[in-house]
Amino acid sequence: MLMQQLVNGVMIGSVYALTAMGATLIYGILRILDIANAAAYAIGAYLGWYIYSISHNLLLAFLLSMILTGLIGVVIQKYIYYPIISKPNVIPIVPLITSVGLFTITGDLIRLILGPNVKEFGVVFKSGAIKIGKLIINPEWIFIIVLTAVLFAILWFILNKTRLGLAWRATAEDSEIAKAMGVNTNISMALSYILGYGFAASAGIMVGMLYNSISPTMGDIPSYKMLAIIVLGGLGNPVGTVVAGLIIGLAETLVSAYMGSILPRDAIAFIVLIFVLLLKPSGLVSKKSA
Amino acid sequence: MNKKLKSFVSLALAVGMTFSLSACQSKETAPAPATGGTQAPAENKDPIRIGFFAPITGAAAADGLSTSNSAELAVSIINESGGINGRQVELVKYDDALDTKQAVNIAQKLTTKDNVVAVVSGSYSGPTRVAAPIFQEAGIPMLSGYAIHPDVCKAGDFIFSQSFAGSVQGKAGAKVAVDMLKAKRIAIIQVDIDFGKQLAESFTEYATANGAEIVSVDKFAMADKEFAPVVTKLKEEVKPDLIYMANYYGHGAEIVRQAKSMGLNVPILGTEGIDSFQFLEIAKENAEGVILTTNMNRDSENESTQAFIKAYKEKYGIVPDMVGASVYDSFEVLFKVIADVGTEPTAIRDAIKGLKNFETVTGNLIEYAPTREAIKPVQVQVIKDGDFHYYGVVEDTEIITPPAAN
Amino acid sequence: MYFTVVAVNVGIFVLLALSLNIIIGYAGQSAMGHAAFFGIGAYTSALMTSTMGISFWISLPVALIVTGIIGAVLGLISIRLKDDFLAITTIGINFVVVAIFQYSEIFGASLGMTVSKPLFFGVKMTAPMYLTLIFILIVLTCLFINKMNKSWFGLALASIRNDEMAASSLGIDVNKYKVLAFTLGTAIAGLTGAVYAHFMTFIYSSDFAFIVSISIISMVVVGGIGTIKGAIFGAVLLGVAPELFRFLADYRMIVYGGLLVLMMRFQPQGLLGDNSFIMRNISKIFANIKKQKGGGQNAGNA
Repeated sequence: MLMQQLVNGVMIGSVYALTAMGATLIYGILRILDIANAAAYAIGAYLGWYIYSISHNLLLAFLLSMILTGLIGVVIQKYIYYPIISKPNVIPIVPLITSVGLFTITGDLIRLILGPNVKEFGVVFKSGAIKIGKLIINPEWIFIIVLTAVLFAILWFILNKTRLGLAWRATAEDSEIAKAMGVNTNISMALSYILGYGFAASAGIMVGMLYNSISPTMGDIPSYKMLAIIVLGGLGNPVGTVVAGLIIGLAETLVSAYMGSILPRDAIAFIVLIFVLLLKPSGLVSKKSA
Repeated sequence: MNKKLKSFVSLALAVGMTFSLSACQSKETAPAPATGGTQAPAENKDPIRIGFFAPITGAAAADGLSTSNSAELAVSIINESGGINGRQVELVKYDDALDTKQAVNIAQKLTTKDNVVAVVSGSYSGPTRVAAPIFQEAGIPMLSGYAIHPDVCKAGDFIFSQSFAGSVQGKAGAKVAVDMLKAKRIAIIQVDIDFGKQLAESFTEYATANGAEIVSVDKFAMADKEFAPVVTKLKEEVKPDLIYMANYYGHGAEIVRQAKSMGLNVPILGTEGIDSFQFLEIAKENAEGVILTTNMNRDSENESTQAFIKAYKEKYGIVPDMVGASVYDSFEVLFKVIADVGTEPTAIRDAIKGLKNFETVTGNLIEYAPTREAIKPVQVQVIKDGDFHYYGVVEDTEIITPPAAN
Repeated sequence: MYFTVVAVNVGIFVLLALSLNIIIGYAGQSAMGHAAFFGIGAYTSALMTSTMGISFWISLPVALIVTGIIGAVLGLISIRLKDDFLAITTIGINFVVVAIFQYSEIFGASLGMTVSKPLFFGVKMTAPMYLTLIFILIVLTCLFINKMNKSWFGLALASIRNDEMAASSLGIDVNKYKVLAFTLGTAIAGLTGAVYAHFMTFIYSSDFAFIVSISIISMVVVGGIGTIKGAIFGAVLLGVAPELFRFLADYRMIVYGGLLVLMMRFQPQGLLGDNSFIMRNISKIFANIKKQKGGGQNAGNA
């Protein structure tokens, strides 16, 4: 049973990591706790569902939805977040409340346009579950884990091997110095939002496939759980986020498998977080080691 | 001094604003006609106002839509047929957003501003529970569509529950599990709100008293979707011969999907919580063979049931679910008693109390128990060919009569 | 009666906003889990009156003290975390506290707690009585905050807020004052919770969820952080909004969310914060009046 539960945990953990990655990339540059990432997650899922339902091409659904959601992110960044954070003496709670407002609007807009009911996502893999000994792995799980790995590889490549990524990292390290050195920090910000909202969108589609359902309230849980994950991962650190997502996924799975219902699942992520922060006040992976 | 003064001025301003803002609103609601129960019904042509509240926005918006659809359908049907004794019915509808604070405001508004003669709750237990004492104090009858918190009806003799008590359905489920499905080792998966807790507790009580063993209980939060760990555990360690799901359609669909893909092939028994087209839509072929206890028998030969399903489908393009049917029932009961005794709230209350063997879309409403919870047979349905069908019915008096209030 | 009930609900938010303002406005600490302390007060007093049969009037100060103590302990633990780490840890505290309400049988677990209506000289408390009680509490809280701001404690908080390093080098025990502010703010939230529980007569764990904390913070920020009038104005505005926007029916939440975004976008200092467009105009008017009267009074009253 342990093996199967570990697979379950890695599965859900990689979805968490992907969901939180968007928030991490945005925090890394703009220092905003952007709850509206969960809105991008829902928008992405709905766009993906719509594109898939007319094209029956899953890859197209992922790509187009990620690009469109990423563009929405750039628009929001440019016209809402940037003007706010560039004002003098703005306390960090202000962009946070803005993101709550955006999140509220999105969820309700989806409800008004498409109704409050749950929609079937409708991606069906023809092959049945794969059995390795007693281990059972669903084809969509393999798809999700592989796709997550590919996305992370692409992210790693962009951040570490391209000029764009160099600029991003320089801005994340210290945006004032980066600016003084001639880095175009505006492009770094735009990149954060394209990648951030794009990743959130892909996570939304994956969750839609995983549970075969999407609903206007699907962003509710990610909206706060991803905060726990990005803080646990050291705030703004992509590698830390992956580690933290996997830890939370495994912790939730193992608690519910071996300890029964001693804790609500929602509280587990935050309990792990509080313990870690008490031992290491800057998160699991601190900024320098990124 | 100056600063202090300023803060006081603003304080006074703020409080003043609250009143003036709400006063602005009062102008919108035109003074409603007095509800004269003493007048002969034929003389009074003013519409009869019935209050209704449901979570139209927020986390439970799907149920809010379903119940609000039913409420509007019920009112439009009665009005098309000429109203009640020649008077039209007017629905006064509010959204509580599943927030108890808003529910208190709404209840107060319905009782003091809107002059409704009776109210139907299409909401969950929280909002219904806080609204109940307000209607009780105002002496206006409230029928709760499907909120089954035991304290709702305890608010007083003006408060009725249209669905059977949670303990009734839990026991009926246990009877199905033990007697019909011959289960011996039962695993319970319950949503951790009043609904899941009550059903699981009464299920356990009856099942263990009748020779079955509860081998595991797993609780999860309302918004949870991830059931792979629990299903894995059931399959590899617990090995039950039946799974009882005291939860809603979203959870239920994911549990049956996981069970299928992990190869956990045991009977699955659900409750009215999965009685929704959304369950069928998400779970697809994995739902085949799932059995559930609920209040509406889709295969019923009862004319009003079939008429309701047809009218609802025509108007909204979707099939009605359990919460919608329960709210529709509540309106049918109100229309019936208002037609009989007029619009005086106390008379309405007494008439509801005295109602016996009334045919509703969810079958025969035998009567209201002394706890004012509806007594009706519990329907057992099975999912076959992608739809709900008749499987059986639990009619034993000792099961469907709710326990006396303590 | 409807107005009275809405006013009580709004008044509860006013108290919550005022109390949170002590922590985030005056002490500059990003506390994002205020609803947890609101809930601790509510459950403490509900437990006293409805399970133990103790008078509501005794439960009020007890809720204040118990919540304050818990607030102090949690404040001590989390005070070494900075900014966003503190923010998220307090969110975490909110989730854990709600989980405890949800899982403890003494708090009614998932059935919630039914709270009996308290008596006031043998009469069941009515909505106007609650409104009076809330009003008195608001006035007392305002007086207290005013007094606090002018005391040594208030000055110390102001200096921490402006420059923590400088304050610390001047010999101000930064952590002590931060924890004290946290204690005071949470204690008042606990007191408010006690009133809320008895007004609603039913409490449930999700009444104190993170989303409630967010509402309270929004009120403080929309009104104008760090001022009494701002907290009151924000709480009244956003507290009345759900009722006021009823005529919008289905579009209610969108308008609410839109307002939040627009206000943050164009008035991040809050509607009544220093240098907001409302305050600029008001102060112009005041300045004119003062000129005509030939000078105003001196500020400064301890």
